[in-house]
Amino acid sequence: MMTRYGMLIDTTKCIGCYSCRTACQRQNDLLPDEGFIRYEHKETGTYPTVSVESVPLQCMHCEDAPCASVCPTGAAHMGADGIVEADQGRCIGCLYCMSACPYQVRVRNSKTGAVDKCRFCAVQTENGTTSCTCVEACPTHARIFGDLDDPNSELSKAIVERDAHPIAGDLTRAKIYYVR
Amino acid sequence: MTYEPIWGSIIAWYLFLAGLGGGAFVTSVFIRFRHPECKKLIRVGHIIAPVVVIIGLCLLMADAFAGFMHPLRFALLLTNFGSVMTWGVVFLAVFVVVTLIVLIMDFMHKESPKWLDIVGMVMGICVAVYTGCLLGVCQGFPLWNNALLPVLFLVSAVSTGMAAVLLAGVFVAPDEFNTVVSLKKFHFWLPVVEIALVMALLFITAANPSQAGWDSVMTIICGNWAIAFWVLFIALGLVIPIVLEYWMLWFAGHEMETSRTGQMISGFSDLGVLVGGFVLRLLIVSAALPITIVQPWIF
Ligand code: SF4
Ligand code: SF4
Repeated sequence: MMTRYGMLIDTTKCIGCYSCRTACQRQNDLLPDEGFIRYEHKETGTYPTVSVESVPLQCMHCEDAPCASVCPTGAAHMGADGIVEADQGRCIGCLYCMSACPYQVRVRNSKTGAVDKCRFCAVQTENGTTSCTCVEACPTHARIFGDLDDPNSELSKAIVERDAHPIAGDLTRAKIYYVR
Repeated sequence: MTYEPIWGSIIAWYLFLAGLGGGAFVTSVFIRFRHPECKKLIRVGHIIAPVVVIIGLCLLMADAFAGFMHPLRFALLLTNFGSVMTWGVVFLAVFVVVTLIVLIMDFMHKESPKWLDIVGMVMGICVAVYTGCLLGVCQGFPLWNNALLPVLFLVSAVSTGMAAVLLAGVFVAPDEFNTVVSLKKFHFWLPVVEIALVMALLFITAANPSQAGWDSVMTIICGNWAIAFWVLFIALGLVIPIVLEYWMLWFAGHEMETSRTGQMISGFSDLGVLVGGFVLRLLIVSAALPITIVQPWIF
């Protein structure tokens, strides 16, 4: 079977500390105003018993990636192992992909004008290299990265055990699974 | 979090000018077919068509900053034929070339061949439809993601194209302006159709299963964009032109219609159509909210 990378994010563990976002900025050498992870917050209950759920959102590496189907230059495209890529050298900055992505997770680099997004850099750590990815930075271990096509991977098992689902159901066949 | 529109007024100008150019060429072909003696008006259409489209394209390229800094990347625009934008580039390129050839022939006092006019007209229509499809394929925006938008943009494009030619005609060819009655009568009906299409678009968007559809419509009819929508688009761009043209074409006597005052009144209604056409693009580009901000799956 082929490798098909994906991720699980457990929002019941997420404390909304933004560590993943800042770690990602450092790992990928992003500009201070450029972040690949954004957050939505859901409040439930009434004062004084309120609870807040933090939902980190980033590129879902959709199998039916709308960004790739609309990109006129092929800068946004499906790469190897199911990782959707954003080729900075091809992008003209028309922002069509940003309009087409249903999750608002693509960001325009304010210096170059090209559009970038989560690169699933956690793949580099597969061989044991330590780095500063969202997965490693998360203090509550809310994130698991791995191969969706390998039924024995930690990821695949956790998805089944914790009943995780893509954030928007079948929309775009996303590869990030959420426990909520 | 609050949502910032991804595309701004520059894209709205571009969509407006591309449609206007396509419509202006369609108008010149229409005049050549129905009123072949109106040479000046035909030439006005021939001039407006490529000029406004080229201005629109320059705006677009300047807005695509990464490409502006690396112009060679624009060649890559022809690599993904699954993208509506790639098709748009093809339509625009053919349109600009054809309309420039027609314009040069016009200046050399040569009749452009009929087939070339037809190719230009078809490309003009394709450009206008493409401006709607460009937004229409973005599935995250209920206001865009429906099949009515390309039709609305096409009708509006032809209407603004005709208005531009007629408005210029008031000043450069007042005699011919009085002659082209069938063009004016055809033009009269376009804002009427537009009202129906806009109503349908808003009803269908509001009924979208996602909250974003309802919210987009509310922003337009009673939110931030309400004044632009009711005053500039509905009143100035549609209702006033309909009323004025109805009066000019069917009520006012021939004397009044062909007088300078009558021409000015028609010219004012055409100006209203142009303002309304731009405001329509601006509203549609700016007021569309994505389904993911309201997030039915999160809230
Ligand atoms: S989440 Fe957005 S950017 Fe990522 S693959 Fe899907 S459409 Fe593209
Ligand atoms: S902004 Fe860049 S990546 Fe996005 S659609 Fe345009 S060329 Fe493609």
